[in-house]
Amino acid sequence: TESTSPDSNAFVFCVSVVEGLALLDLGVSPYSGAIFHETPLIIYLFHFLIEYAEFVFMITDVLTAVALYLAIQDFNKVVFKKQKFLIELDKYAPDVAELIQTPMEMHYIPLKVALFYLLNPYTVMSCVAKSTCAINNTVIAFFILATIKGSAFLSAVFLALATYQSLYPLTLFAPALLYLLQREFIPIKLKSKSFWLYTMQYTALYLCSLVVIICLSFFLLNSWDFIPSVYGFILSVPDLTPNIGLFWYFFAEMFEHFSLFFICVFQINVFFYTIPLAIKLKEHPVFFMFVQIAVISIFKSYPTVGDIALYMAFLPVWSHLYRFLRNIFILSCVLVVCSLLFPVLWHLWIYAGSANSNFYYAITLAFNIGQILLISDYFYAFLRREYYLTHGLHLTRQDGTEAMLVLK
Amino acid sequence: QGRDLIPVLSTGEAAPRFLCSKSNSFSIFQDQAEQFFRSGHTNNWAVLVCTSRFWFNYRHVANTLSVYRSVKRLGIPDSHIVLMLADDMACNPRNPKPATVFSHKNMELNVYGDDVEVDYRSYEVTVENFLRVLTGRIPPSTPRSKRLLSDDRSNILIYMTGHGGNGFLKFQDSEEITNVELADAFEQMWQKRRYNELLFIIDTCQGASMYERFYSPNIMALASSQVGEDSLSHQPDLAIGVHLMDRYTFYVLEFLEEIHPASQTNMNDLFQVCPKSLCVSTPGHRTDLFQRDPQNVLITDFFGSVRKVEITTETVSLDSDLAGFESNLPKDELATEPLKYAEQLPVAQIIHQKPKQKDWHPPGGFILGLWALIIMVFFKTYGIKHMKHIF
Repeated sequence: TESTSPDSNAFVFCVSVVEGLALLDLGVSPYSGAIFHETPLIIYLFHFLIEYAEFVFMITDVLTAVALYLAIQDFNKVVFKKQKFLIELDKYAPDVAELIQTPMEMHYIPLKVALFYLLNPYTVMSCVAKSTCAINNTVIAFFILATIKGSAFLSAVFLALATYQSLYPLTLFAPALLYLLQREFIPIKLKSKSFWLYTMQYTALYLCSLVVIICLSFFLLNSWDFIPSVYGFILSVPDLTPNIGLFWYFFAEMFEHFSLFFICVFQINVFFYTIPLAIKLKEHPVFFMFVQIAVISIFKSYPTVGDIALYMAFLPVWSHLYRFLRNIFILSCVLVVCSLLFPVLWHLWIYAGSANSNFYYAITLAFNIGQILLISDYFYAFLRREYYLTHGLHLTRQDGTEAMLVLK
Repeated sequence: QGRDLIPVLSTGEAAPRFLCSKSNSFSIFQDQAEQFFRSGHTNNWAVLVCTSRFWFNYRHVANTLSVYRSVKRLGIPDSHIVLMLADDMACNPRNPKPATVFSHKNMELNVYGDDVEVDYRSYEVTVENFLRVLTGRIPPSTPRSKRLLSDDRSNILIYMTGHGGNGFLKFQDSEEITNVELADAFEQMWQKRRYNELLFIIDTCQGASMYERFYSPNIMALASSQVGEDSLSHQPDLAIGVHLMDRYTFYVLEFLEEIHPASQTNMNDLFQVCPKSLCVSTPGHRTDLFQRDPQNVLITDFFGSVRKVEITTETVSLDSDLAGFESNLPKDELATEPLKYAEQLPVAQIIHQKPKQKDWHPPGGFILGLWALIIMVFFKTYGIKHMKHIF
């Protein structure tokens, strides 16, 4: 029931793109119906490739894996260099030898990342369901690759493309900017002129490419229809088909009087964490990017399992945090059990008629809580490791007893 | 000729008849003719409605079924009875004696029987359906058994029971019919010539309020209780666990059990059924709209379907001369061309379908712009010098 299961949903390929192309053949704008919500570039892409749709999605998945592989390879080099630099500067406490990452253990991480992405059951499901989320993942993966390689121009172009596809990668602007600043050795001080210059350059590149892409899309169909249909659709959530996200249940029951308010509240949730995370994680922009991607895939209006596959692919990069993770067993059980229960309860609700939407939404909630706890667990572990690196492994309180780090 | 005469059924008494009348038998003949045309109806209908559901309203279903039984026994066929029962007591899971509905305790009388035909059942008993039956405004797909196909020579008995109040009767716990609506429905029936005479019996609390508003002619109404009084139930049966009948209908049933198709009992006797001592409530009736004197109205005029049959010993010879009557049937038209089915599904076209031509192509300007951008990005990233390697 891949094509009917809600896990890869409103942007599902099979129904909507075929419908859009059929409408075009009939001479009608594809956005006039309520099903098609893809961007014009997707129309252009699939206009020629629709017969080979399976191959297209397999190739995009492979491309994503390759891009992640190369990105993480470069990232490891950067991490290692930085670590060496900090050791030489004596920034680390004396007894943290066991926390330092060695090249031996970091050697296989890129391969693990690529395999995590390719062999993830979520990726496989998303590919089989031919969800355009795979294309989003590819674009974001290329953006990450471009950022880590240090090319501001390509990074801005890919970020503009990712934002153009689905609105939320806008929040990835901050970590990308932080990473590039770090790479150029520009200190992040608000008074520094070079900081503002670089930021302006990057912003200009990003906005210009976004504008160019949007204008180009205008020329595909000679109309601005796609803007309300794509971005209006993402922002105002009119389609309440059940999916693994948090939006549909609320808005199915809400009075129209309040729906605007709650849409704003829900959408702010995605963008809201950027600034605090930027302040806290300004030294570690790639981890920031990981957390941001996870936040997007949890809180976006129409999440799919493909989004989850993308950030889960990054988990091997932080495998050295394993000893600091507190709830990893429960969380993995929650995630596995919930993913198994999704199709069961969907079947019970829709086909057998003996459950109702509450069951399905309960599992959705549990799943999302599992994801959120996973992210916050990794966040805690990361910060704790950083703290230990600078302050030593055996922390003592003022009176000499052993202390415990708590995330406030 | 007067030897073996069969009694004429209309009057119930044997009466000799002479075709060639002399002056002294003329008055007898006139009396008989008068008797013959005493009531103006030629057919009888009954609309019996029970409006309550749930097991504890067993007695309302039993009421309706007792009237149904009497009416059928006295001759109205099922095709002329519209029986509306809002719930199924006989097959209710709480019925300890399934397939039965009793009216007396000690299970003396099973009014459900073997040949009950319920026309409107369960959720079909609604105010709308009831009014549609009465007025005849029924969708064309309704089967005949659900229609009241009465005409202007029909006497109709309408019996309603359930829970009611001052001016309304409750249908199925969700809606009510008011006395004004009922009166208007009867007026519609009168204007559409759907009845000759109407007898309306209601057994609910404050039932008299339901006939207060009638204004159409030829209606006689009976109710089990006055406004402000409750109509009470008769006796509970401890084996079944509910009250089996309402008092008024119980005594009406007892009364009707003694009527047979030939009885001459009239309406005044029906008005005396169930005095206050037995019924606790005061039954009421209304006859001001009725044109005949209730004294002259037979019970069987409404409760039975008595056919007026005249027996004659005369023979009538039919004229066998059919000259002048030629059939104008058209000659068989020979088929001029062989007939065949219209082509509804062009199977041949579907099977041999060619792949669809795509009618839409992206505009040239778009493709040009897109690829120009892609090439620009490529060269900005990798530098112009790589062009040497490509070409």
